[in-house]
Amino acid sequence: MSVELEPIIGRYTTFEIEGKKCRVYFEEAGKGIPLVCLHTAGADNRQYRHLLNDPEITARFRVLAFDMPWHGKSYPPEGWQDTEYKLSTALYVETIMAFCKALELERPVVMGCSIGGRIVLQLAHLHSDKFRALIGVEAADHQEPWYDTSWLHRGDVHGGEVCAALVSGLVAPQSPAVHRHETLWQYMQGGPGIFKGDLYFYRVDSDLRGKLTGIKTELCPLYLLTGEYDFSCTPEDTLRTAQSIPGAQVTVMKECGHFPMSENPAKFRDYLMPVLNKI
Amino acid sequence: MTHPRSEQGAQFFARFRDAATHFCRARQVDLDFVVQFADVPALVTVRGGKVTQISEAKAPLLAYEFAIKGSSLGWAQFWLPVPAAGWHDIFALNKRKEFSIEGNLQPLMAHLQFVKDLLASPREEQS
Repeated sequence: MSVELEPIIGRYTTFEIEGKKCRVYFEEAGKGIPLVCLHTAGADNRQYRHLLNDPEITARFRVLAFDMPWHGKSYPPEGWQDTEYKLSTALYVETIMAFCKALELERPVVMGCSIGGRIVLQLAHLHSDKFRALIGVEAADHQEPWYDTSWLHRGDVHGGEVCAALVSGLVAPQSPAVHRHETLWQYMQGGPGIFKGDLYFYRVDSDLRGKLTGIKTELCPLYLLTGEYDFSCTPEDTLRTAQSIPGAQVTVMKECGHFPMSENPAKFRDYLMPVLNKI
Repeated sequence: MTHPRSEQGAQFFARFRDAATHFCRARQVDLDFVVQFADVPALVTVRGGKVTQISEAKAPLLAYEFAIKGSSLGWAQFWLPVPAAGWHDIFALNKRKEFSIEGNLQPLMAHLQFVKDLLASPREEQS
């Protein structure tokens, strides 16, 4: 074969989440410690293609990135047409735990960004013993809303376009144009109302302020990485969150925005590798 | 009726007019909206995805759909080649109260990237 193939393998598997069978698409590469990657709201696992293609990372880690049900190439569960998608804290935790169980992952590392960063905090709170380490990217226990999510799903505004246009400001100006626009394309391709449904978790159902007690960072280290250009989850939000979690380690990433692994993979790598090297 | 007009606001208006006059995108956009530079409002007219007029908004009973108003500091920072964090996007500036976004937001949201790119057009290229 004359073309070079990437090492990423994409597969489907079916397992139950809250009693409903879900056919879930995931991609993986590498061998070693399982590293499960969670995409941002309204996006999909393509955000992690650079990690999955990084030989230094995949030499030590089995990197896995799945599309949440309703996202990317994972269909909604059967009967979706009669429901409104709303992600809750409980559903999100169960989705991650069910994926790890289905793949028989032993004490994986979980890294999540944005909503994935928020849920990492809840995983640390509930299940420190089940994970080797947790990495919250753009993670905070709460953050102030900066627009009305009703704009994301209505008849007179194109959902994909407005989702992308809103989040475009969360990409740092230093991020390479090719990666900026790949990141925005992910948002343009989301299903109708899915970004909004994810933000139900973010805005309504997961104010974790004062609720993150009992996190055992000596058992399961917690690393928090936040981009300086993220005005949605600001560095101050992350630093405030870390103050309530003894042992949490914070790094503010210069010249990064809300989607560092996707918008500026080389820069993100500079910050991620020291964390992975500790695991 | 005359209105006060700061020199700085006038300079920002002129800079925007010079940069944005020929702005166009292959997109069906028809808009009349106001962009305000400190105390100097500008009426921007877009037809068929092309800016057709940028004029100082002096007329009485001005009709427009939405307005994006910014302080001198906000525009100066926003148009830097590499704006600082928190000064790099109209919603970041709205959050820090250097900008305000007012009016009927439906046409803005329907063409949000078009408007954001238009407003950023005076930004100098990174060297």
